[in-house]
Amino acid sequence: MRCRVVAATFVFAVMFLTGGCITSEDWDVWRSHNTHFASGEHGLFSLRNNRDGSNPRVYRSDIEDARNQNWWGRYAINVTPEQIYKN
Amino acid sequence: MSRWAPLVLSVGLVFGSAVPGLALPEDGVTPVDQYTTAKGRNLATTYLPELLRFSENVYHCLPWVGVVKSGIGFRQPKSATADDRYLSVWISIDQADDGTFASFPLDRRVSAMFSRYGVDMLKRMTQLGGVTSDPNVTGFSVILSWLKPDSAKSAQPLTETLALFVDTATLREFLAKQLPAPEFTSRARYEVFEGKQSLGRVPFDIWEDNFNSTFKLKGYELAKGQKC
Repeated sequence: MRCRVVAATFVFAVMFLTGGCITSEDWDVWRSHNTHFASGEHGLFSLRNNRDGSNPRVYRSDIEDARNQNWWGRYAINVTPEQIYKN
Repeated sequence: MSRWAPLVLSVGLVFGSAVPGLALPEDGVTPVDQYTTAKGRNLATTYLPELLRFSENVYHCLPWVGVVKSGIGFRQPKSATADDRYLSVWISIDQADDGTFASFPLDRRVSAMFSRYGVDMLKRMTQLGGVTSDPNVTGFSVILSWLKPDSAKSAQPLTETLALFVDTATLREFLAKQLPAPEFTSRARYEVFEGKQSLGRVPFDIWEDNFNSTFKLKGYELAKGQKC
């Protein structure tokens, strides 16, 4: 019983300490994403490359997928074609 | 059989994911059926092979820019009164900023982007066989979009966009260094946007920049059979 109380305290302590480093914006990002990777392609890219990017292996399809699947962040507001072209 | 199910499933997931729905170079070219006039459709049909080659070249050789879907085609500027067709490319530019670009005011950011990407794209388009001398082609156009510095950290990121249209004769003179940059920009029809908001004709400068022909992306592996 005593052991369980110690373990539970430890878990809560770790959660509190790590949670303390995260900003409210970070929490919002986490809440709005229910998976760690944006897609299977994103997951495979991460498996293929090391975290510090010191020895990257990048294909053109990775770059296109990153753009289309928004791997790295939020969508930006952009001008529409109708504002530039007639048709 | 059930013993092997997890393995089969995991192999299926890996190989299923390895063939993604790619945005291929063909997606960069405006489909012929999207043109609303016969002139537009004729140009699109005549130059389809050149446009595809151009899209493929940008796709493989300049991976730090992306052609917007249907971004290559014979377009009319919004303010056009006649069916004037400009060979146009719309690119989205990715860049890692060390803080230098973010420190520039808007007019300098526009200058830097046009000098680096606008001139290069215009030059590449004028080299497509036959387009420059085609009387049905009024001119050329570049639409450049990039993330507004610092807006990535804000609640709503914004892009900045330069949309420029210029007639063929002016472009020829400019690329042959027979026309000073201020004269070129005064003759060109252009507009700068922040997000969806037009900022009008922001004055900008043009200088020499050979980044696209010299920069090598670290770790980038060119697809087999491609040459840049």
